Amino acid sequence: MSALYLYPVWLRLWHWLNALLFVTLLVTGVSMHFSLNGFIPFDVAVPVHNTAGVLLSIFWLLFLIGNLWGGNGKHYLINPRTLPRDLIAQTRYYMHGIFVGAPHPFHVSADHKLNALQTLSYIGVMYGLMPILVVSGWAFLFSTSLPETLFGIGTVWIIAMVHLVVAWMLALFLVVHMYIITTGETPTTNLKAMVTGWHKEESGG
Amino acid sequence: MFSRPLLDPSPGIQGLPIRLRQGVRCRMLPHAPMLALLALLALFALTGSALANPADSAAVSPTNTSGSNTGDAGGAPIAKEQGLLKEDSQDCMRCHWMETMAYRDRETGKIVNLSIDRDAYSHSVHSELACSDCHDRGFSHYPHRSSSADEALNCVDCHEDRQDDGAPNLIGLKHEYDKSVHVTEGVEAFSCFSCHNPHRFHPAQAGESIVDVVAETNNTCLDCHTELLTPVPKGHEWLPRPQAHWGSVRCLDCHTPLEGRIPDRPSHNVLAADDSNRLCVECHSKGSELLSQLYNYRAEQAREQDGFFSQAIYNDAYIVGMTRNPWMDRIGLAVILLMILGVAAHGLGRYLTRRRQEGSK
Repeated sequence: MSALYLYPVWLRLWHWLNALLFVTLLVTGVSMHFSLNGFIPFDVAVPVHNTAGVLLSIFWLLFLIGNLWGGNGKHYLINPRTLPRDLIAQTRYYMHGIFVGAPHPFHVSADHKLNALQTLSYIGVMYGLMPILVVSGWAFLFSTSLPETLFGIGTVWIIAMVHLVVAWMLALFLVVHMYIITTGETPTTNLKAMVTGWHKEESGG
Repeated sequence: MFSRPLLDPSPGIQGLPIRLRQGVRCRMLPHAPMLALLALLALFALTGSALANPADSAAVSPTNTSGSNTGDAGGAPIAKEQGLLKEDSQDCMRCHWMETMAYRDRETGKIVNLSIDRDAYSHSVHSELACSDCHDRGFSHYPHRSSSADEALNCVDCHEDRQDDGAPNLIGLKHEYDKSVHVTEGVEAFSCFSCHNPHRFHPAQAGESIVDVVAETNNTCLDCHTELLTPVPKGHEWLPRPQAHWGSVRCLDCHTPLEGRIPDRPSHNVLAADDSNRLCVECHSKGSELLSQLYNYRAEQAREQDGFFSQAIYNDAYIVGMTRNPWMDRIGLAVILLMILGVAAHGLGRYLTRRRQEGSK
């Protein structure tokens, strides 16, 4: 039995509030997008979505600041030398090893909380998709100050499409993320860790 | 003929207090002396511009080919039979073609325009009608008696009588109109003619840009509702970018009921401000009922002008609800669904193999 205190209070707070905002934005966004006025009235969904969006922007900035100056950034660094090998090992585990009780190729530690696949996908999400989502969201808010057209196409249309595509991709991320947390030693190992801060495994780490 | 949104470019005879509803008193033009004076002036102007007149008349009818015994413009026999080129119409138009043909109503103080724009008339839905087809009595004397104008011109009845000639039945419009705020609020001297000028009226033409259609339709409203001619119009403070909205949607799109719309024409049940549509999603969503009339028209046009491909790309692009790109939605939903199925299958596989392993132990 091993126990690691991986997730301090500030990190868990950030994670769960971020998750709450994310789900709020997703639900209100879907409601507005598909005009589900009976689900959430449009005049409720709009201010809630806008407010949550602004808060999510702040949370993303906190993430950025924490990574640049708070030391958290080390979890999002790639080691190009070991990456291909780690990626293959991790993928093989998910495709095969996980079904035959093979040992997990990656073990969390205070210095390495994310496996190679996680690192890559989080880099894509947090440094790639999130800023695009946030910027396009703000562009919506200030669309009246933007030029009418961009490259001959309506600016708002471009913004809308970017926001939409990124939102779809992040919704996809959420599905995968929620499933992957069940792939710890037991289905609830990772979930418990993000709730209590303690990552506990029966077999040694 | 009603296959496209109707519009009336410019109502020019708002001064005629002719009522649509039955049993309502009709009266007009009681100022014979003033009229006579104006007619004299008009006559003077007519003689003065006699040289220009034939050319104008010729322009009215493309079928004009040769001179005739009418002396001036000379119409081909067919054209002479109908519309403004019919002989007795020519008599009327000797005066009524003049742009300055007008008088000031002594009661209301408003200018009553009596001029008929021949070009506009020849493009109107009524172009085949001669003056006397509608104004059928009391005009033989000059100046016309004020009672001449008491003819109860009535769009609905006239159209009903002439259905066999292809006049569209307006009884549905009348039912809508009777419920409209223009009637229920008892707006003084309101009639069909307050908005529609039968001498100009024509449906939106194919090839006319949506901006023009919107502008022309809205100008009909703004001709009377001049208090709304401000950057942020009264009562519309809640509406983001009112001028952008007004450039691309008709007043009628929000100010008529959502229910019972037909694609062919706007409802004539104009709603009071409080009853009008304020829900953004009624427009800003796919298949919006509010916008269907206007933008069905637009979609047709866009396909004609821009081709199918660009129309497919920009299909809902003119409104903020444009994120409702059907293909994007289908792809997005399909990918998410596949992913959910994938992880569910993965999870099931894990569960089954785990159970088998435990069983074998």
